[in-house]
Amino acid sequence: MPDSQSTPAPERSVALAIRKEKRFRPLGLTADSAIRRFFQGNAAFAILALVLIMVFLLREGAGFFGQNSRGIRVYRLAGLEYVDIIKGQLDRHAELTRAANALRLKIYSDALAKGAAPQAATAALAGFDAFAEALGDASEDVRSLASDLTEQAAAVKQREQIYQDSIEQKAMLIRAGKAGAAAAVSSVAVDFGREIKALSASLPIYKDANRLFAKKLNASLAMAGPQSVPAAWTPQLSGLKAAAERYAATFPEVEAELAAWRYDAPVPWYRSVTAFLFGRQWLTASFWQDWYGIIPLFIGSLLVSLIALLIAVPLGVVAAIYVSEVAGTGEKTWIKPAIEFIAAIPSVVLGFFGVAILGQSLRAVSETTWLAWVPGFPMSERLNAFTAGCLLAFMAIPTIFSLAEDALTNVPRHFKEASFALGATRLQTILRVLVPASLSGLISAILLGFGRVIGETMVVLLCAGNRIAIPDFTQGLGAFFQPVHTMTGIIAQEMGEVVPGSIHYRALFMVGIVLFLLALGINYVAQRVVQRYRISIG
Amino acid sequence: MNRNPFAHKSSGSQWVERLVFGLFRAGTYLILACALAVFATIFWKGGGTVFQKAAPYVNWQFLSQSPETLYVFQHEGIKMELGDREFRAFKKERGLDAIKADTYAHSAGGIWPCIQGTFWLVVGSMTIALFLGVSSAVYLSEYSHGGQLVGLIRLAILNLAGVPSIVFGLFGLGLFVHFMPVLAGVDDPSVPSLPVGFGYWLNFSGWGVCLASGWFTLALMALPVVIAASEESLRAVPKGFREASLALGATQWQAIRTNVLPYALPGMLTSSILGVARVAGETAPVMFTAAYVMRDAGGSSGLFNFIGQGVMALPYHIYVVSSKIPQNQYTERVQYGTALVFLILVSGIATTSILLRTRMRKRYRW
Repeated sequence: MPDSQSTPAPERSVALAIRKEKRFRPLGLTADSAIRRFFQGNAAFAILALVLIMVFLLREGAGFFGQNSRGIRVYRLAGLEYVDIIKGQLDRHAELTRAANALRLKIYSDALAKGAAPQAATAALAGFDAFAEALGDASEDVRSLASDLTEQAAAVKQREQIYQDSIEQKAMLIRAGKAGAAAAVSSVAVDFGREIKALSASLPIYKDANRLFAKKLNASLAMAGPQSVPAAWTPQLSGLKAAAERYAATFPEVEAELAAWRYDAPVPWYRSVTAFLFGRQWLTASFWQDWYGIIPLFIGSLLVSLIALLIAVPLGVVAAIYVSEVAGTGEKTWIKPAIEFIAAIPSVVLGFFGVAILGQSLRAVSETTWLAWVPGFPMSERLNAFTAGCLLAFMAIPTIFSLAEDALTNVPRHFKEASFALGATRLQTILRVLVPASLSGLISAILLGFGRVIGETMVVLLCAGNRIAIPDFTQGLGAFFQPVHTMTGIIAQEMGEVVPGSIHYRALFMVGIVLFLLALGINYVAQRVVQRYRISIG
Repeated sequence: MNRNPFAHKSSGSQWVERLVFGLFRAGTYLILACALAVFATIFWKGGGTVFQKAAPYVNWQFLSQSPETLYVFQHEGIKMELGDREFRAFKKERGLDAIKADTYAHSAGGIWPCIQGTFWLVVGSMTIALFLGVSSAVYLSEYSHGGQLVGLIRLAILNLAGVPSIVFGLFGLGLFVHFMPVLAGVDDPSVPSLPVGFGYWLNFSGWGVCLASGWFTLALMALPVVIAASEESLRAVPKGFREASLALGATQWQAIRTNVLPYALPGMLTSSILGVARVAGETAPVMFTAAYVMRDAGGSSGLFNFIGQGVMALPYHIYVVSSKIPQNQYTERVQYGTALVFLILVSGIATTSILLRTRMRKRYRW
């Protein structure tokens, strides 16, 4: 063939080109694919970042359970648990006394309201006062025994602490190569068995004291006859007496519990975890026993978020509906950026606003007489869950607003048109067609708003009142106006003061892990909801 | 709709509709009124500190001095309010030893070191975030074609955006402050270390509370915002640009470099300014990783000394002055003043971003 000679040339050039390309492959990569890899690596950094966050939260937090478990073991070994059984009994007695005092206050103010002179009202309550005093004093023997035992047990715990410190010091000296100095450090292990014998030897003394306690308690109850209070208050008095009798009936149980208590009973492995997850006390830097229970903080966070969402959801959704369906174009063009602009206000400025102005003004409002019917009013504290909740709502509104607005605009046009064609009014269309069609979008907007609110730090740190206690829900809605502490707040507040590596430091990281998992969970649910939404419209 | 002669005349439901829409409108305006109230209060009360009636109308002393302790005392029947340095000079001048004075921390002087610290924090962290974010976005929108890795990356970004800021703070504390390796001439026995030869060790002792720790922590926080903004502007570049370039024989990188990035970059930068607002406004991550209550303005020389030093930051300063010192007429000045300066800075940044973005959208229209 005549032109068969020209065919090899392009083949050779292709082969050359391939060979040429092969030459520039340092790691089996061409320049172009190296660039591609570079970008890919940077993108994958987001995954790495998330993994690193998890790893380092765990690295700092994981040691917590071991340390907490040791703490709980020493709590038992040193007999602190034993003393706490008696203290629990005394606490319940203190509750009774408080109830008696509260009842007295009620009767007294009722008498004043009915026009009695203060002296006369006090005189009328003389019988009740004698009863209340006797009730309060009934526990004195047990109380003095408990305070002796407290000192004993605390001393044992302190010796154990000194021993542990000396071991640590030794280890550090050995690591630094100072074996001689390490040997010179004296360390005496605490013989818990012997120490506990002294403690449990007090059981007969306790039993005597307890018998006396019960006797005095019954004597005091006998003093409270029907004549000691006005007739209208007899049911309350007998209720109090019944409670006192029920209390007295628990004494044998306490004794049995003390007799059965063993200092060397093993502490189950899960105890440290449950003490954290379900512990109702967050108590640090105490001379007696530190407790790291997340429940008060968790409930505080939830309460503040609930208040914030109760305010932010209606306002945010309503504003979204207004802007996307009702407002004219002129209004729309400025309202939308204005609300989104709120998101740019730094949280610490809002927190400062709460401390400086909002707290004061809310309390002033709550003190007006015509609002006295609201439970919890007047507020006893300037900074409380409600103050923080209001500000958080303000922060969550832009998030909820813009996501909800997106969801509403994403509803296909023909849904609306079909509804109008059937003769529905605009309001009917909005409420019966648009809102249901975008419901999952709205829900995910609310969820993301919740995520924003529960992770917010500065506002709750400055405005929530920072009292570590579970709010008193027996007051109903009044619980909204009590100071609380939150998970984010406690980290921000205490992290600056703790020693790195201490149990307190690790406990704060554990709270961080809970927050992190919570945020991931909220995100996950929100995404699932959005996915559903796509299917339902499709 | 009222003009429609076939419409069902039901004035009742129209009334209801008008009422409900009125309520909707009231709710919307309530939100705006709250925002206005917050701004107005802080402007009203902080204005006295930051601005003044006579020229140059701005109180430069407040912006240019360091915070000082305020001394309030009676001298010869006159009430004096002096800052720390003035107070000492005053005592020296009059030869007075002990003056009984009420002291208020941070309440005199100005906030210059805080402004400076915030500036450096923002510059450093945004540089890192822009680098990582823009290149992630280039990969996600130009190179990737779906697949598991991309799904995973998107999931990670989405979740990163939802992580609370305080958790970023904890993470920064655990990784950068307490763990990151430091190159040193000695082997520190108290922490794990790695010999690198030439008599040097990498001690995993952490960088401490310093600018660098703050930069990386804040950069990770801003990353999702930057990626989202960058992807949006990359997607706005028409497909034809890339195709034309590829058709002329350009490699993919050449196409991206010459025909995509130049058009997308302005948009990326302006939208990322929103990330700046977020970074500048956050307190929680900074308080563990970079911020000090009190620190002199950048005196260290040398790059490593510079990034290895802690700084003061405006948001942290607001937290300190609003929670650690009492509220009264003497402290109000610095409290509201700092809040106002910070609010102007952050909202200025946000407004710039929003305005630039609308302009950019108008300019590039294909």
